[in-house]
Amino acid sequence: MSDTQQPSPLGSGSAEADAAAELAEIQRRQERVIESAVVPVWSWWVIALALVAIGAARDSHHTVVLAISIPLAAVVIAGAIIASLPEVRRRVRVSSAAQPDGRGGVALASLILLVIAVTIALAVILTDNRVPHPLTISYGAGAAVLVIGGPLLNKYLSRLMLSNARQHMTDAPRPGAQWRGLLSSDPGDHSPGHAGRTNDGGTA
Amino acid sequence: MSTAGFDELIHAPTRLEIVSLLAAAQWADFKYIRDELGLSDSALSKQLSTLESAGYVEIRRRFVGKRPRTSASLSTAGRQAFEKHVAALQRIVARSQQDPGARPATEADRAVPGR
Repeated sequence: MSDTQQPSPLGSGSAEADAAAELAEIQRRQERVIESAVVPVWSWWVIALALVAIGAARDSHHTVVLAISIPLAAVVIAGAIIASLPEVRRRVRVSSAAQPDGRGGVALASLILLVIAVTIALAVILTDNRVPHPLTISYGAGAAVLVIGGPLLNKYLSRLMLSNARQHMTDAPRPGAQWRGLLSSDPGDHSPGHAGRTNDGGTA
Repeated sequence: MSTAGFDELIHAPTRLEIVSLLAAAQWADFKYIRDELGLSDSALSKQLSTLESAGYVEIRRRFVGKRPRTSASLSTAGRQAFEKHVAALQRIVARSQQDPGARPATEADRAVPGR
């Protein structure tokens, strides 16, 4: 059936522009939901500050300081992680189709390993060279990696989730499979598989 | 293929925003939807009720402690309707791109009717 045999659902000469605006709105909402799901920036800072506190406490070599500050920092880190989960905030849970796949886990693990590697390597080097406050400095360096890398990880995960969400729509064997071209950054990205165009047969 | 699939219920601007948001989520808290869309409680309740009546949205009401907590999710029917609606929109846009004589969209064209 041709589209021209039906009244345009958008009902005017600017139907195409209206449809494009609707699609842009749909994409914007999707991005907002995914942005809500990533770890908030403040959470990276809280964890980083807690790491520095642990380093400083260890440098103090004071038993009471260690006994209080390290468990406290651990609780703060755990709390920041839990509080940053969108489900815990009881706000929204991203669609399972958009959830980051193994690449998201690898990216997160890589960041954690990088923080640990930087912290340990610097601690060893500084201690060997008898630099004052080696653990405070090394934990601070690890924290800096976290503060820089955390938001970068957020961006990567956001892109990954958006890509997954669109891929889900594209792979599905239904009319919604035409999302990819529309919701991509390239407006001309319409794959040959978009049968709707050729089958419509009508003109605007 | 036709624009069958274009859904007038979803097409309404506020409902489009709600359904678009829910399409990207497994569920969303009432307050989250309200804040994201800048709606009043009553306005959102009304729209959600309309979507629920159509079978597009499932509302879950529960208590966390003594506090009532309401969340919404897109039903299977709602998700299918949304995907068909998106496909219909895509066809409309694709058709204009296929037609070389089509007037290029302007900023003024981008205002969705009824907003």
